[in-house]
Amino acid sequence: MMEKILSRHFFNAEARKLSFYLNDGGYEAARNALTQMTPQQVADQVIRSNLRGLGGAGFPAGRKWSFIPKDSPNPRYLVVNCDESEPGTFKDRHILEWTPHSLLEGIIIAAYAIGASQCFIYTRGEYLHYARMLQAALDEACQAGFFGKNIWGTGFDLDVLIHLGAGAYICGEESALLESLEGKKGWPRLRPPFPAVSGLFGCPTIINNTETLSYIPAIIRYGGSWFAGLGTPQNGGLRLYSVSGHVKNPGVYELPLGTPLREIIYTHAGGIRQGRKLKAVIPGGSSTPVLRADEIDVRMDFDSLAAIGSLLGSAGIIVMDESTCLVKALAVLAKFYHHESCGQCTPCREGTGWMARILNRILDGQGVRDDLENLLRVAGNIRGTTICALGDAAAMPVFSFITKFRDEFESHVLQGRCLASK
Amino acid sequence: MSLQSFSDRLLSEISEILARYPQPRAALLPILHACQRESGYISRDTETAVAELVGIPAIDVRETVSFYSLLLDKPAGKYHLQFCTNLSCTLLGAEESVAAACRKLGVHPGETTRDNRFTLTTVECLGACDLSPSLQVNDDYYANMSAEKVNELLDKLK
Amino acid sequence: MPTLTIDGQQVTVSKGATIMQAAEALGIYIPRYCYHPGLRVAGSCRMCLVEIEKAPKLDIACYRQAAEGMVVHTTTEPVKLARQSILEFLLSNHPLDCPVCDQSGECDLQNFYMEFGLYQSRFLENKIKRRKAFPIGRHVMLDNERCILCSRCVRFCEEVSRSHELGIVNRGDRSEIALREGSQLDNEYSGNVIDICPVGALTEREFRFQCRVWYLNRAASVCPGCSRGCNIELHYNVNRPHQSGGKRVLRLKPRFNAEVNKWWMCDEGRYGFEFIDAPSRLQDFEIRTAQRTVVASREQAVQTLSDWIGDSIDRHGSQSLGIFLSPKLSNEDLYGIGKFARHVGIDCLDFRNPSERPGYQDDFLIQADKNPNTRGCLELGLYRRSEDSGGWMAGEIQRGKVRVLIVFLQDLALAPEFQQVLGRLERLVFVGSNRNGTAEIASLVVPSATYAEKDGSFTNFEGRAQRFERAVVPLGSAVAEADLVASVAVSFGMQREEFERERLLSDLRREYPFFDQEALNPPELEWVYQTPIGQERL
Ligand SMILES: Cc1cc2nc3c(=O)[nH]c(=O)nc-3n(C[C@H](O)[C@H](O)[C@H](O)COP(=O)(O)O)c2cc1C
Ligand code: SF4
Ligand code: SF4
Ligand code: SF4
Ligand code: FES
Ligand code: FES
Repeated sequence: MMEKILSRHFFNAEARKLSFYLNDGGYEAARNALTQMTPQQVADQVIRSNLRGLGGAGFPAGRKWSFIPKDSPNPRYLVVNCDESEPGTFKDRHILEWTPHSLLEGIIIAAYAIGASQCFIYTRGEYLHYARMLQAALDEACQAGFFGKNIWGTGFDLDVLIHLGAGAYICGEESALLESLEGKKGWPRLRPPFPAVSGLFGCPTIINNTETLSYIPAIIRYGGSWFAGLGTPQNGGLRLYSVSGHVKNPGVYELPLGTPLREIIYTHAGGIRQGRKLKAVIPGGSSTPVLRADEIDVRMDFDSLAAIGSLLGSAGIIVMDESTCLVKALAVLAKFYHHESCGQCTPCREGTGWMARILNRILDGQGVRDDLENLLRVAGNIRGTTICALGDAAAMPVFSFITKFRDEFESHVLQGRCLASK
Repeated sequence: MSLQSFSDRLLSEISEILARYPQPRAALLPILHACQRESGYISRDTETAVAELVGIPAIDVRETVSFYSLLLDKPAGKYHLQFCTNLSCTLLGAEESVAAACRKLGVHPGETTRDNRFTLTTVECLGACDLSPSLQVNDDYYANMSAEKVNELLDKLK
Repeated sequence: MPTLTIDGQQVTVSKGATIMQAAEALGIYIPRYCYHPGLRVAGSCRMCLVEIEKAPKLDIACYRQAAEGMVVHTTTEPVKLARQSILEFLLSNHPLDCPVCDQSGECDLQNFYMEFGLYQSRFLENKIKRRKAFPIGRHVMLDNERCILCSRCVRFCEEVSRSHELGIVNRGDRSEIALREGSQLDNEYSGNVIDICPVGALTEREFRFQCRVWYLNRAASVCPGCSRGCNIELHYNVNRPHQSGGKRVLRLKPRFNAEVNKWWMCDEGRYGFEFIDAPSRLQDFEIRTAQRTVVASREQAVQTLSDWIGDSIDRHGSQSLGIFLSPKLSNEDLYGIGKFARHVGIDCLDFRNPSERPGYQDDFLIQADKNPNTRGCLELGLYRRSEDSGGWMAGEIQRGKVRVLIVFLQDLALAPEFQQVLGRLERLVFVGSNRNGTAEIASLVVPSATYAEKDGSFTNFEGRAQRFERAVVPLGSAVAEADLVASVAVSFGMQREEFERERLLSDLRREYPFFDQEALNPPELEWVYQTPIGQERL
């Protein structure tokens, strides 16, 4: 059994090249899918693999594909979400840099499965260099006839366009991404309709995360059941964990779903720096509820984290040791959501700024007794009332930080004293 | 000033971009990126000209330009220092790098040096927390910044 | 056709109807800011959150479609709390401007706060400072601090006026309404954004500080600005005209009519009411001789006119009399005049001013014919069919056939055909509301009431007859045209009662089946451009 799929050749610049990838058996899965399988058979393998969306929401990939209406006269689109802006997440960047052909091959297979002949890869503007690496890989693959007209003589056509965003976290939210791709500001859309029914230019559209699609070739190559067997039940396969913060070896680690958080931090990422003690961990990108040090035996999969009130999200693990001031940490996150709220709906537009200002005031030593209750109340008023999930994402850290580390917050508010050990 | 002020090179780049998209408006961000690469920022006149090219109201281009952090509506310095101050970078001391840069350049975040060489901004997570504290100068990433490394870098860029 | 239950009441609505619409059908009011029935649903203010049983969270009534068996609650604690919190969010950066805000009294922040808010403010932070009241166009002022970013005005400029001046720039709580630098909100319909702005962010330059809205009275009316006949409300103030420079009618607002103008009206029409209280208004009867002009009493004037008419008929027959009507007259006045003309045998009648040229027109509301009642004149047959303009009457004067001419409203002195010949008349009578060149040379001037000063109806270009109601009393001695005619007609053996306005209308409807229309039933006023809450203050 293979231990790694996408990260096998991380940090090997040769692996970016088509020849290297082909030597490794690359594009065989795509060729097989197109020449030997029906789109439905492809989708069935993906369903069997239990592959869940790795962009954050964890929606089963195969199921999502099945929502494309069978009878729509409009063209269908495949859109790759490579906006990767969730703080603490940098796995998609690694895919672009070290194994772009995995993504491209996954795109061919997914496009074939859903019947799309145009794909857009939406990459955050800051990733210009990485987008260029991907473009170079795409050019090579086009030359080899893997993209364009009549691929492998099957009559299947596919064009891919790499599209650069321009600096907006919200454009990672799929409906905002579509707006952005249409040349508008990134204001999320009301749903329904969902993109599978009416997405880009009003046409049926499937949006998948970069990593999600990059696992598809292996699933087709070795079978859906094989992939499913790599993880825990209902949480198939491997995934890329981004680990950052106070660990000795920050980086991307490819491990089965369900790997205990403790193992990721201590075994793979080398443990905490300078022999310090762990204080808190954000398990799945900044929007996911924080965990205390005593909660890290949790298995890193969608269901186990949900069971303890957190989320796997984008699997961006941010590790904070005892020197961390959690009021400060939360203020940093609040500033982020305030900066990134698109401003369309009232609770998020007004609430994110409000929370950020309260937290800053507390940090400035101007906290008042009611502030914590007020923060929780404002977060509560944002939660579940907004157009998109950014509102919830902004509220969740506030709840989890304040409830789990109440003493630190109270000390700041009431005594103006920071409990972090420096 | 309007379309006439666009260089031939830019105009041909724009028409190539337009050809790639199923709808002209979808080409808006790539076109704005191209304009910004050419002149460092997007002036109001450029907005009007682009609106005309794409066939949309000028206010829509204004909305778009003002929405995205990477699109600048006034010129930045030759080197645009973008310090990440999100959580992973802050945990590892991003603020010290920012402070060092501010001291050395004599500016506050958001400002440009008088000689127009440096603009200093703080930005949100750059997707490079494995390299924290991270910094982007124009399009290039720099890893593991510290006050010391900032000073060295600024010396080199001067 | 789903059937759903809202607050315990069942209702069946058409497929695709929203919860908001279903609630409206039950008379249940759900507060809203961004929703406007004439605009695409934005779903952004979140004021209309309601509870739907079995749904994981509250949902917005303006967007969520009604479904079979759905059970909706609009008064439960979670809904109340949500409304309160939306208000709290909106007010967190809102300035405390009410005492100096023109919107005060018809503001949905005030209204909903009174109805659904009333929380204890817990906002300790500094409010965001923004640009205060500044003009953004000929008629409109913008105050960015008061704006709640409901985007109604933006959607209006995109979807209705299709002029695209406004946008929301920046991101997050830095977002604000903006125009492009150097550009203006100057479309033909700009005033509507004032009506639909739920707060005092967009206010009227003309109305600025003129009157607190709770001192205004309202009358249902029809715009006389063109042949569309947009349904409007006249807002007037009779108790405090000193506060507004003597003006009684202070503003016009569109009144919803699904077939005619929906929620809208054009600026030309909206700001075209100045003539009602203008200094050019005629207020007295005037009798002019070569030597001098004297102010006459109504009785004197009526007597004089009756004498002139009787005299001319006696001497030269009724062919010696001409009547030049106006397509700005109401159906009732036209009908009354026509009735009298028939009675005394005048058939030299027309209304078509030969010098009038078609004006600006668009594919939305504005019509090229700037008269509200051309169609009424046509249907009543008050013109000479064999001619294609009223210029023929100049020929009759020229030939000496017509000796006495009664002109209603129009400035015939401006029409080249008539300029030459008016001097040949033995008597020129002018009946009109405002002074013009024809009034200057008339031997008898009768001041008449404007549409704001009488009940009546106009027939729009599509043939829709529409009622308007009197708002204020006629200025000075002004009379409705049909009343004048009535006074004269009694000297010719007619009954005054025949000219009473309701009678005119019912006779008209009977005699001309064309006019027997639903729309002629008395109009009802609804507070359509703002929510009904607070209405009792007006
Ligand atoms: C505020 C916000 C930001 C998001 N950012 C990203 C992102 O950067 N990358 C991503 O793949 N998904 C992001 N998502 C999730 C997407 O909306 C969407 O669920 C995902 O792209 C679907 O792909 P998947 O099913 O393959 O995960 C974000 C969602 C929200 C609400
Ligand atoms: S929740 Fe925030 S980001 Fe999402 S639509 Fe509303 S304002 Fe925009
Ligand atoms: S100006 Fe008025 S109508 Fe326009 S967005 Fe603001 S509050 Fe809404
Ligand atoms: S379109 Fe005609 S009727 Fe309507 S408001 Fe304008 S002028 Fe008056
Ligand atoms: S937090 Fe700085 S790059 Fe992610
Ligand atoms: S009225 Fe429904 S969200 Fe604004």
